[in-house]
Amino acid sequence: MSPPGRPKGEYRSAKHEGSPVTAPAKLRLDGVGKRYPVAGAPDTVAIDEFSLDVRQGEFLVIVGPSGCGKTTVLNVLAGLDTPTRGTVAIDDRLITAPGPDRGVMFQDYALFPWQTVRGNVEFGLRYGPAGAGLDREAREERVRRTIELVGLTGAETKYPHQLSGGMRQRVALARLMANEPEVLLMDEPLAALDAQTRIILQDEMLRIWGQDRPPAERRTVVFITHAIDEAVFLADRVAVMTAHPGRLKVVVDIPLPRPRGDATRALPQFQALTQQIWSLIRDEAYRAAVA
Amino acid sequence: MTTVLDARAERWWSTAGVGLLLPVALLIAWQALGASVGTPRTPLPVNIVKAAAVMIASGDLPAALLQSLGRVFGGFLLAAILAIPLGLLMGYSRAAERNLDPLVETFRPIAAIAILPLAILWLGTGTSAAVAIVAYAAFFPLIVNAVAGAKHVNPTLLRAAATMGLDRMTTIRTVVIPAALPSIGVGLRIAMGVGWTAIVAAELAVGAKAGGGGSGGIGQMMFVFYAYSIELNRIIVCMLAVGLVALLLDRLLRAMMKKLMPWAVQ
Amino acid sequence: MSPHVGGTRTLPGRSWGALVYLRTMLVFAAVWALVAQWTDNPILLPSPLTVLDAATDLARDLELFEQAGISLGRMVVSISIACLLAVPLGLAMGLSRRFDRIVDPTLEVLRPISGIAWIPLALFIFGIGNALPVFIMTYAAFFPILVGTVAAVRSVDRRLVDVARTMGIPQRTIVTRIVIPAALPSLLVALRLGVALSWTAVVAAELIGAPSGLGYAVEWYRELLATPQVMSFIAMIGVIGYLCDATVRWLNRRFTPWAQSPR
Repeated sequence: MSPPGRPKGEYRSAKHEGSPVTAPAKLRLDGVGKRYPVAGAPDTVAIDEFSLDVRQGEFLVIVGPSGCGKTTVLNVLAGLDTPTRGTVAIDDRLITAPGPDRGVMFQDYALFPWQTVRGNVEFGLRYGPAGAGLDREAREERVRRTIELVGLTGAETKYPHQLSGGMRQRVALARLMANEPEVLLMDEPLAALDAQTRIILQDEMLRIWGQDRPPAERRTVVFITHAIDEAVFLADRVAVMTAHPGRLKVVVDIPLPRPRGDATRALPQFQALTQQIWSLIRDEAYRAAVA
Repeated sequence: MTTVLDARAERWWSTAGVGLLLPVALLIAWQALGASVGTPRTPLPVNIVKAAAVMIASGDLPAALLQSLGRVFGGFLLAAILAIPLGLLMGYSRAAERNLDPLVETFRPIAAIAILPLAILWLGTGTSAAVAIVAYAAFFPLIVNAVAGAKHVNPTLLRAAATMGLDRMTTIRTVVIPAALPSIGVGLRIAMGVGWTAIVAAELAVGAKAGGGGSGGIGQMMFVFYAYSIELNRIIVCMLAVGLVALLLDRLLRAMMKKLMPWAVQ
Repeated sequence: MSPHVGGTRTLPGRSWGALVYLRTMLVFAAVWALVAQWTDNPILLPSPLTVLDAATDLARDLELFEQAGISLGRMVVSISIACLLAVPLGLAMGLSRRFDRIVDPTLEVLRPISGIAWIPLALFIFGIGNALPVFIMTYAAFFPILVGTVAAVRSVDRRLVDVARTMGIPQRTIVTRIVIPAALPSLLVALRLGVALSWTAVVAAELIGAPSGLGYAVEWYRELLATPQVMSFIAMIGVIGYLCDATVRWLNRRFTPWAQSPR
């Protein structure tokens, strides 16, 4: 946590993130830029000079005003987009294509409407490399366990159009987790839910991520959200982006104790952090809202 | 990373020339193959072009097309006068729809061409039968779309009219009809396409039955070239003309719709 | 909500609808009977009862169904061929912009030429017989199915493909396990249109160039000036057309239940 007067310099160069506990960098974005050609106009620069290390087992949340390029950062990490400048790597291997080691959860879940819950969850295991070496029994066992993990036991034979928003979100999460990815990339997964369901699912996210387990057993998560309170509640660190073109403004540590729950939201520290981050974004948000 | 070479390749692919590669290649192959292994009757691209020139210059082709077009417009107008008001009524009034819809739905699956023998029975092998068939064919898309247009008028618009104190007739005139226009436009386009196909079919069939006697029109012309003078090149010219006219009619209607209803993005 | 004016009844929907249908058709039949009586020309306009009589006779000696079977058989063959040709082509065109750019202009030239315009040329190539109607019907169904397939493929939600890519699923599997299932609802809609156009074409083709089938029967009886029989066969054409459409709609409901919007 940094009191407002702290010089920005300490966080500016996120390239060499030297925060106290330095776990190895799982993901590294180095000077990443992405621009898109536009017919009859100068190129659109989505993100510019973006450098960030994501540590093994950490829950990193990216916040920023609308249109600041958060999704582009995620796409680059996922390998769905290639940067026009800079490099992105996992475990020091360059990322050039998508793969099951970096599972993605999209904004409106993108569930396969013709598959049941079970069909969706086992999809990656059945048709992709994540299921290689698993015989049918082992696969079914893993699917069962994953469905249990997200709390959907009993709904296996339902179709997405028969499920509520919260349940669909869990299916998307289960589909992702079944492939046992090393990294989870999530693009505003809770945005489509009502406020109450959101809070419940925030708790679920942390549970599934493993906040009750030792840090070594947790997966790495990069999570995008608009909601600052959500970011502060979930994150180990919050990366704040500026408005278009997207740049990394600052990375804020969130030293709130784990495991977190309802009580956490009542802590004065929680409020202070939320305010701090909002004040960092506020101007950018105004600009984005008016432009 | 996109390199300069990739960008250049992309530009090549998007030039208009790419689209012409296949047709030109096919035409050349056709001409070569046909000329070498075909019989004197085999249609060849070069001969087709020659035949087209002859048929246009002599005025035969334009005359036949005009005659067919005349019948299409006649039938089309007839259908429109009946179908559009009726359809709007049905869309606006549930009672009207309930009572009339069974009739529409019963006859809709029966294609216009199936009715042709009846039409010939009643009206003979001349223009009236052809116009009747076109009218029958155009009727259904027109009415179906008019009903849909009136039915799906945004209820909020109607409420707004009510709060302004408009009476029913005025509401229909100033709100329902304009709101239904885009749907009616779609119906017009479909009906025109269907009508044009129907006239060709009708004239073909009539030509086949009436033994080449003067009902005229492009369909009949095609049949004559098949049954009597066996001019395959000319048949193909007629086919291309039919396609071209279909295309032009559609484009024309689309442009008209755009002019009249710029607010309806299709 | 529709702006429908006029009250709504409270009887259960289905049975009420059937009653109204019956009522309208009876009124229609009554008007028909009156006009037939007034014109008093059994060749021009036979009474509804005469037509019903003729229809039952034709049904009894199975002639009605035989001809229907022949036409229907041709349509099944035509639709199968059209699908076998149009669906893979449409898939290729929808998936690859480049392939589409090469092939599309040629197809766009052929598309406005309706199947019926092909009849004279096809008559010359195939002569009168089974092949002619099948050719015309296949052609008629080909373009709607092709255009519909391309649109269906293009409208597949990009993110479903992205999801599969992030799971490391190979491209071929993506096409078979994602693109095709996702495109299926639109494909079936295109099939409906293809079936409808094909059925329309069958009558034209058989009228002019086939020795059997419903279209042929209509023409045959017209030449005999046997109007009741003509009308019976025309009615049969309508019935089968309706049944085919209902079948495709059923296929839609059965195989793509997730995409059904209230009709």
